[in-house]
Amino acid sequence: MVERLFPTYEVGSLPKLSARMKAFQGKELLDTDVREFEAVAARTHFSSGNVLELLRRPGIDGEKLTTIEKDFVSNFNALLYLKLQEHCGLDFVYDGEAKRSEMYRHVAKDVAGFEDLPEMLRSRGPDSWKSSVCVNEPTLKEGTLAGLVVDEFKQVKTYASHSLKVPLDDPYMIAVMSDNRYFMEKLRSVHAGDPKKLRYEAKRELVLALARDVIRPQVEALASLGAQWIQLDAPAATLDLEHIPILVEGLNECVRGTSGVKFSVHFCYPRRVSLMEKSGYELLFPHVLQLDSRIDHFSLELANADDYKPDLAVFRQYADQRKFEIGVGVVDITLEKQLKGEIETVEIVRRRITEAATALGDEKLVYVAPDCGLRQLSLERSVRIYDLVVEGAELARKG
Amino acid sequence: MSLGIYLTGAFGQSQELYRVRNEAKRGRGSSEAVEEQIKKDTPFVLEKQKEAGVSFLSDPLLSQYYLFQPFVEHVNNVSVGSQENWFNNNVFFRKPEIPASAHRNTSLVTSKSFTGDYHCGKSDVAILPSPFTLLMLSDCSGFGDQEKAINKLSWLLRNEAELLVREGYSRIQYDEPALVYMQSLGSLKSEHIDLLGRGLDICGQISGATTVLHTYFGDAGPLLSDLILLPVDAIGVDCTETRIDDIITHSFAGKELVLGLVDARSTALENPVELVAALHTVEERCQPKGLYLTPNTGTEYRGWTHGLRKLELLAETKRVFDHG
Repeated sequence: MVERLFPTYEVGSLPKLSARMKAFQGKELLDTDVREFEAVAARTHFSSGNVLELLRRPGIDGEKLTTIEKDFVSNFNALLYLKLQEHCGLDFVYDGEAKRSEMYRHVAKDVAGFEDLPEMLRSRGPDSWKSSVCVNEPTLKEGTLAGLVVDEFKQVKTYASHSLKVPLDDPYMIAVMSDNRYFMEKLRSVHAGDPKKLRYEAKRELVLALARDVIRPQVEALASLGAQWIQLDAPAATLDLEHIPILVEGLNECVRGTSGVKFSVHFCYPRRVSLMEKSGYELLFPHVLQLDSRIDHFSLELANADDYKPDLAVFRQYADQRKFEIGVGVVDITLEKQLKGEIETVEIVRRRITEAATALGDEKLVYVAPDCGLRQLSLERSVRIYDLVVEGAELARKG
Repeated sequence: MSLGIYLTGAFGQSQELYRVRNEAKRGRGSSEAVEEQIKKDTPFVLEKQKEAGVSFLSDPLLSQYYLFQPFVEHVNNVSVGSQENWFNNNVFFRKPEIPASAHRNTSLVTSKSFTGDYHCGKSDVAILPSPFTLLMLSDCSGFGDQEKAINKLSWLLRNEAELLVREGYSRIQYDEPALVYMQSLGSLKSEHIDLLGRGLDICGQISGATTVLHTYFGDAGPLLSDLILLPVDAIGVDCTETRIDDIITHSFAGKELVLGLVDARSTALENPVELVAALHTVEERCQPKGLYLTPNTGTEYRGWTHGLRKLELLAETKRVFDHG
């Protein structure tokens, strides 16, 4: 683990190489795809020649990439991103989730008891996502653990020279993004005439089943392979304000029986318009005080609102009962910012780190990160964000 | 009494619309292609509604990302704020920032696609935010107090509703999720109901149209005695959150009642016979002026295919209701 002040990390995803995506689709590479690839390769001192030739082939002569070639390219992409993060100077790294589709699908596709909806659903603006329906008891499909995390972690561990932080889905997120048909039907007669109670209990059963039979097997596999830090991604934590106890129960179920691993939780976009007296990260309290003691770190989206003092006040308020390390989001990762061509300066990042340290009252609690994963942004912007995080932390260390 | 049926909000996007939308987002396609696809999908959904025998046609709102978008984009001086969850859904809206100087010109801001090629006349429903929900989910701090703000918002909505009626709409639906959501959370206060009443005093009665206060995402049960007194012609209730037992203790004489008995956020298909039994009970006990069956909200949450299935379910339930 890193000893210096304001350690830095990435939150999870990076956009996949556009050259890789085009090659997988059999399309011709454009100059912009090649330039993007070469820029990252140069930054990481990778030789891009052979891989680039391979990626060009489908678009030139129509010969599709074989499954083995696609696996090779995916592995290369993951390795490239691992080294990119290290060359950028991040203290804790992973592979930019280069071998995962997106966080929800990556797991949902391997859950027995889930069926996909036929179409993509709209979520925010033009963004869409593929949802599943829980139609039976959810468990991991047989033989899927390797593709989910094991192979990925083994590769990263082999090549990493920095400390690792492995991102995993939290069960609550999977539950709220799915249609909980199975448990609703199962419990309908038990809670007949009380729709609110039915929804709560059905969600609780789904979350606990996912924690026990889908997420914990991944946690245990990673622990046995030597993972030291696992981040559970809970972007939907405050979606249902009355259901936050279920989130906490699910997280505790994920880490049950695991030893020798540090756990953190990534929260983002809390309900700042909550229609209650509490809002934002206040909504998590006091429930998160019940989290297992191994879960001692929260990664928070904060730059989007840029309201560090009020957003972090609740953590200081409860510090006498429990202190959490905070991964402070210092760069806004929303697509709108990219479309406007706006990005933070190093000085803004330094200021945000300082504000966070002041708000928390203990600079040793502060880690530094982007607000969230970067998969919807351009790769060029993502690299710039890494640089801002590292340079901003360096500046903040100087005081 | 005959049972009316209709859809009450945005419809899910087709896979083809997703595809062209995604291509456009990634710079590989165009916004024109997206519009072309919407022009194909919109009449398809409207045709399906006609086949189902709906009482009112409802624009699938395929070009609209969230309820407030037309206002944010077309009302002068209104700007877009932070990204927020749309209640307890994995769907987002942008918080409107509405200053006291907000004003509109004379053109319609709602449902542009519908009023263009597909508008079918007197039997259409137009969906607007309720003034209270718009107030609670916007930044109106520049007004100084909430009464001034809701007055302004309600006049904006009234003007819009009147324009819609002039365009031929016969039913104006004010979407009111915030009130019942707050009721469910326990954060609703009596002054909130007063604010809604104040707003509807301004925009609740629109000459030439039936107005609906359509509540969803929360329990309307404890509020029904207040809702019945509001100056609107119909009340919509989300029956996936509200107990039927709480509805049937009220008389709706003089008001239409819209029951969101069909869960738009679930792929499970309700049993038409059970729905009809609930509808008959409500009809008998509440004696509403008119009775309608709808999904509790837009069917966008489970997509195109399941939206069509829910529409078929409405039609089947109406058949069972009308013919025993």
